[in-house]
Amino acid sequence: MRSETDQKPTRRSFLDLLLGVSVVAWLGSVLYPVFRYLKPLPQSGPVGPTRLTATELTKLEKDGFVIVPFSGKRVLVVQNAAHQLLALDAKCTHEGCTVQYLAGESVIWCACHNARFDLDGRVLSGPPPRPLPRYTAERQEDGGVVIVGERTSA
Amino acid sequence: MYYQPGEATAYESMRYLTTKVPFGWLMRSVHCWSAHLMIISLVAHMFSTMMLKAYRPPRELTWVTGYIMFALTLGFGFSGYLLPWNKLAFFATSVGTDLVKSVPVAGDWLLHVLRGGPDVTANTLYRFFALHVVILPLLFVGLIGIHLLFVQRQGMAPPIGQKVAPRGMKFFPSFALRDLLLWLFCFMILLVLAVFLPYGPGIPGMEWELGEKANPLEPAFPGIKPEWYFLWEYQLLKEFPPHLLGLEGPQLCLLVVTLLLGIWAIIPWLDRQAARNEPSPSFSDFGWGAIVFLTFLTLKAWDIGGLQPVDSPASIKVISRTCAWWTLGLGAVIVAVRWVVYKHRWFIFTGAALLHVALHGLLGLSYLTAGAIAGLLAVIAVVTRVLAARRVKATVGASP
Ligand code: FES
Repeated sequence: MRSETDQKPTRRSFLDLLLGVSVVAWLGSVLYPVFRYLKPLPQSGPVGPTRLTATELTKLEKDGFVIVPFSGKRVLVVQNAAHQLLALDAKCTHEGCTVQYLAGESVIWCACHNARFDLDGRVLSGPPPRPLPRYTAERQEDGGVVIVGERTSA
Repeated sequence: MYYQPGEATAYESMRYLTTKVPFGWLMRSVHCWSAHLMIISLVAHMFSTMMLKAYRPPRELTWVTGYIMFALTLGFGFSGYLLPWNKLAFFATSVGTDLVKSVPVAGDWLLHVLRGGPDVTANTLYRFFALHVVILPLLFVGLIGIHLLFVQRQGMAPPIGQKVAPRGMKFFPSFALRDLLLWLFCFMILLVLAVFLPYGPGIPGMEWELGEKANPLEPAFPGIKPEWYFLWEYQLLKEFPPHLLGLEGPQLCLLVVTLLLGIWAIIPWLDRQAARNEPSPSFSDFGWGAIVFLTFLTLKAWDIGGLQPVDSPASIKVISRTCAWWTLGLGAVIVAVRWVVYKHRWFIFTGAALLHVALHGLLGLSYLTAGAIAGLLAVIAVVTRVLAARRVKATVGASP
């Protein structure tokens, strides 16, 4: 008898291969649509510079911070003690809670697992693994505030 | 019947239900109470199965189906939580679903599938509604069928060391009537609780005041916490530093939790002693160790003994110490009862869990350092113990 290893391809092994390939192809053609179906399409919304509305501005003046929608994200706009404008991603890099500005301590705080960031978004304490991404916010001549975009460099 | 999922309707329909619909508040209260009581009874059932080793062959799959159903029940709780679309629901779901992004490779896809987009929105609400009222119930009904079929076919597990379970009574009418009585009793307890405490007992993580409507543009509020059965996990997330061992904190946390839950799932195959119908004190001890571990985290998540402000480092120290004392007290009772009443002499896991608590809460080591020390000691102790047992067996076997 020939040993198993040095067998030449036989009709049977060829059919096995064919069967295997077609099973994989069949599974793929069944599962792929399901996978695609489950993941929703990206939502399109307004992108680019966004001007704060009057209500948002009043909130900014009153609380020292406001969270506004910007290009499908939520951005925290802060007015610090020196009346400077700062803008950061409002989504905590830990588990995605929404952060807030604590004027008294001049830090950004996430209530969910008690994390603190400085106003440049760096983690001061708590479990978040990454700093908060920063945005550019500008004060206009007429007193309005515009979020221009994400800052790329540190 | 009154509930309408949707960003503009979910919260409003819930408010209508609880304030306008006759006895709507009662229906909601009964629903919430039964959900919590269901989880409590499942926890009790699971631990008693664990301690009595009722998972011994041939009942391994009964354990596994029960395990999956427990997971589904937590899924019910989690998905139902979002549906009123109030503030608490919104953040609980944000954090809870965010954890899946730590899953390697498929994380991002899973997150989008779960939320119906990158963030928690009305799309998430539709998906969770479907989960809560269609998908999970169908799965659950199927599994409970299998679970009961197994129990019916294989009968109750006999106590360790015995061949057959003691014969029960006749099903009809004796058992049926007794069951009915028990059912009535539980139903009355449920009703009394639902009527007198319509918004829950007021323990954090066990209350369901509707509160304010969710607003994605508002920050998370101070003192936000998940339901009580997720508190341990929430606290664990807090204990992990940003980076450790080349992984991000949440990733490592997910890994640890997955490992522990994985071990829990395959206990019937790990416990060789019980499989031979011999007592397996090590696995009882493992169960008790798990209870100690979960208790400490839960107490800590409740901020027991906290100072004002609760989140300050000083307060966190005091909380750790207070909760450590409570947990050590509980542990001492457990050990004493097991020693005296059940004549147990196997305490490595409970001991390690208590040592962990003591090192962290009383000596002030970080949670993870304390855990690593206790874990290492436990491993050494188990290995020594197993080797010693082998040696004893070998000498006994060798002597004529
Ligand atoms: S989500 Fe912000 S600290 Fe955990």
